[in-house]
Amino acid sequence: MDDLLLAWKNIWRNRRRTLITLAAISLSIMLVQATHNLAFGIYARMVDSGVRAGSGHLTVYRTGYIDSRDEKLSFDPDNLAETVRNLPGVEQALPRLYLPALAQSSRESRGIMLTGIDPQAEVTVNPYLKGLGEDEMVRGLSGRDAVIGQRLLDELKIRKGGKFVVTLQSRDGELSSELLRVRGVFKTGIKEIDRSLVMVGRERAAAMAGISGEIHELAVILDGRSSEEDAALQLAAAVADRPHLETVPWERAMANLANAIKLDYAGQQIIFIIIVLIVTIGVVNTLLMSVMERIHEFGGILALGATPGRLRRMIMTEALLLGASALVLGCLLGSLLTWYLVEVGINLAAWLPEDLEFGGVVFEPILRATWDLPWMGEIALYVFLLTLLASLYPALKAGRIAPASAMRHH
Amino acid sequence: MLFQLAARNLWRNRRRSLLTLTAMVVSSSLLILSLGIYSGMIEDMLASATEQYHGHLVVSVRGYQQDRELFAHFSPDKQLMARLADGSGTLAISPRLRSFGLLSHAQNTQPIEVLGIRPELESAVTTLQQKLIAGRYLDYALPGGALIGQGLAKKLGVKPGDELVFITQAADGSIGNDLLQVAGIFATGATGRDNGLALVHLPWLQQVIALPGEVHELSLRLEDPLQAAALASRMNRTLPTELEAIGWDGLLPEMAEAIATYDVSRLIMCIILYFAAGLGVLNTFFMSVMERTREFGIIMAMGMKPWRVRAMVLLESLLLGGISLVVGLALGLLMSLYMRDVGIDLSAHITPVTYAGGTILPRLRAVLDPPNFYIPAQLLLLICLVAGIFPANRAARLNPAAAIREE
Amino acid sequence: MKILPLLLLLACLYPPAAWALDLRALIREVEEQHTGLSSEATMSMQVKTRHWERNLEMEAISLERDHFLVRILAPPKEKGVASLKVGQEVWNYLPKVDRVIKVPPSMMGGAWMGSHLTNNDLVKAAHVDEDYDFRLLEETDRSWRIDCIPKSDAAVVWGRIIYQVDKATKTPTEVDYYDEEGEKVRTIVFDDVQSIGSRTVPMRMTVQPHDKPNERTVFHYSRLKFDMPLEKSFFSLRNLRGI
Repeated sequence: MDDLLLAWKNIWRNRRRTLITLAAISLSIMLVQATHNLAFGIYARMVDSGVRAGSGHLTVYRTGYIDSRDEKLSFDPDNLAETVRNLPGVEQALPRLYLPALAQSSRESRGIMLTGIDPQAEVTVNPYLKGLGEDEMVRGLSGRDAVIGQRLLDELKIRKGGKFVVTLQSRDGELSSELLRVRGVFKTGIKEIDRSLVMVGRERAAAMAGISGEIHELAVILDGRSSEEDAALQLAAAVADRPHLETVPWERAMANLANAIKLDYAGQQIIFIIIVLIVTIGVVNTLLMSVMERIHEFGGILALGATPGRLRRMIMTEALLLGASALVLGCLLGSLLTWYLVEVGINLAAWLPEDLEFGGVVFEPILRATWDLPWMGEIALYVFLLTLLASLYPALKAGRIAPASAMRHH
Repeated sequence: MLFQLAARNLWRNRRRSLLTLTAMVVSSSLLILSLGIYSGMIEDMLASATEQYHGHLVVSVRGYQQDRELFAHFSPDKQLMARLADGSGTLAISPRLRSFGLLSHAQNTQPIEVLGIRPELESAVTTLQQKLIAGRYLDYALPGGALIGQGLAKKLGVKPGDELVFITQAADGSIGNDLLQVAGIFATGATGRDNGLALVHLPWLQQVIALPGEVHELSLRLEDPLQAAALASRMNRTLPTELEAIGWDGLLPEMAEAIATYDVSRLIMCIILYFAAGLGVLNTFFMSVMERTREFGIIMAMGMKPWRVRAMVLLESLLLGGISLVVGLALGLLMSLYMRDVGIDLSAHITPVTYAGGTILPRLRAVLDPPNFYIPAQLLLLICLVAGIFPANRAARLNPAAAIREE
Repeated sequence: MKILPLLLLLACLYPPAAWALDLRALIREVEEQHTGLSSEATMSMQVKTRHWERNLEMEAISLERDHFLVRILAPPKEKGVASLKVGQEVWNYLPKVDRVIKVPPSMMGGAWMGSHLTNNDLVKAAHVDEDYDFRLLEETDRSWRIDCIPKSDAAVVWGRIIYQVDKATKTPTEVDYYDEEGEKVRTIVFDDVQSIGSRTVPMRMTVQPHDKPNERTVFHYSRLKFDMPLEKSFFSLRNLRGI
């Protein structure tokens, strides 16, 4: 205890030097923590909006559908959606139906993807529907309400509330046509979606295709509280009695998004290693200097009769205190910066054109961080250990110097 | 004289200088390397979007690129071709005619886009010939030959040599239709093209859709793709009014956005990295100035003016910055060269990614893009300057009498 | 008490609906003028658009409303090209490549043989009496004007159709197609009325799109025959090929 107190006093004898060292280390911790949290947040958001607009964290398909996208591979979900919704860790289960079709107005016709949805479930999750008011959503599973993209609306030369006719080939090969009305219009900024996506109640779509009650996809959105693996196991168990179904993770269902993230992450990883490397050099550098500067002083202590062991202990204790203080301060600063990045974020909109697309998901121009506490702890600990390690060399050296030469060293 | 002093000061504390130098060299060289890799990804993307299909710049009837209307065709005369070829920076010009229709084989029918081209000209603009996985490129031995995408071939169930039927709306109102034979199959990694694009001979398509002598666009390959926008606006001043030139940035606005984002994130990355490196440098100089308080006191007492002291300290930091700049740039260049020539193949872990209309191949490969060198270089010097100013000011403001007495 | 529901039912069916029923029958009659139970015709089709002018000679054979076969006779370049409609589906035969292609749903909106009618018009046109409700707009000595409003759920793109029907011959003189906003999209004009056997038929039909005032398609019958014996099996892919 006495040693600690003495070391603490020692540290503050040269207040300026200590402050500089402290600032260097704690700012490094802050920087690494905040940068990581920012990158973490960006990926988390990308995955989140990707799975919400796409096929969910986990998806149930008829075996083979995911590769062939053959409309014939539909299945009767029975009460599966309800069952899945009640599984722990599941936020929502979205039954969907995908049918290529032709949309015609009195002026134009366009090829579209008729998508049957469960509007009540979909609206809570799907980011494409985020901007729509209650009076713009599809009512019921089998009504004639449709929500379509802005571009398609323009190309068909109709207005909100206007009608159009959708024609598709039903399961038995016959053409089937139905009247739909535009109830809501969305604009995602993704050309392909805005031009071809038409959402209707899934029973309406299924009836047209002659497969009443059936779906192509059950997209499962997780609430993030339990792990994806656990949820996957639970889901697999829930569909175990239906051997014709398979459960697919989003990385496979949306390979493009997963790959875009993986590739970008590989690049990000390199940057990260560089930052940590630079921080390491900076910390070691600062500590080495602050100890080396005191060789003269150490010589004095040895000359006064202290054993080299005691001197070593003193240097290490000082490093320990310095590291611990930097750790506390750094984490504090890191949390503060992360908090800012979570709450406010970095707005890129000023530099960027609108409607940026990344791997098929609308990219938000505001970069926001997400807390990754375990990682923050790890990096703080790493820097702390680095501090001790960096003091080890001068400590060893200090123990070996001859007092006389140290006194002369200047 | 001041310079020598600064150099000697750095030399005197070699260990400290070396450590600081290392921090700066490592950060700038690695930064240069990673920027080079990022640029490589962008270039891959740009190349896949432009050199597999669009070309760097296209000349077409005003509005054609928006709705691709069958009737927005024109007949390129010799004069126009000569003028475009003459324009500085044009490497090749490929005339093209486009049609949307149905391609069928046996019981399978697929909606497709057909591009009528002249093989020797098209292969000088786009690089599909490098993406063949079966058969061969179009040649004049087979006037009814077709080059189709891998996905399309699979859906139709055809291989080179098989017969296809193409049906579309011809420009005279009739149903244009004729037989084709699969000459080759390509795979670009971009699903849209692999599943729905066919290349045929220009005269063949002109006859089928009843547009003899006509084309929809002239696609150009440029010496410097990044100059496409500038060249397009220059061309637009001299082109006939019904025609317009559009660079890839106009054809693929998403790509232009992607590159804009990249530029922003490049800057953010540089700033974060140099903030980290700058901390170290600032630190070092503060220490070094403090350590030399007495020394400064003495030389000032001997008559050195404060501004000279300030200049000396600043010079020290700039000198250190200069050395690390040279070493860092050299190291960064070396690593970038290695990554350019060798690279890292990730195809075992990642499949090609479609992004903003282009395809990023799963490999890490660097390109040498000047801004990737001079942006870090400028920032490095700026950091050294900033990191030098505070300690320099402190040194200059010392009271000689008090300083000499210190420690 | 049991008689009340029956009365109500009768009330619903009869007085106010009497007119509607008449109109429906009338429209059906008007629509079937050209088809009869079965028909065989030779006609010319003239198409004028901004981009092309076409003159085709063709022969057409139909049975009731759902069977229909058309073959081009001239010009030589397109001779033999044929279209078959059975129920909701359309096939084309292309002699140059000797293939029959079923028109996929994605092409149903496309122009039929380069005219101002779409493939879908062929499929849908014959069902006006089933998909619409009718109202008499105006009655003069010589003609009726009948307003056709699509049933709320009918899969039709029009907002309304207005028929102008000649009283004496029960032939249409003009049919206007409107979008939902009430804007006129196209008009079909019928004239050159002639007697063919027991029927009176307009021999010329002009399709006029209103957003392209300089464009039109004109069908002109040169020969028309009704009610020959025909089997449904005649409308086969084999006969489409013209074998």
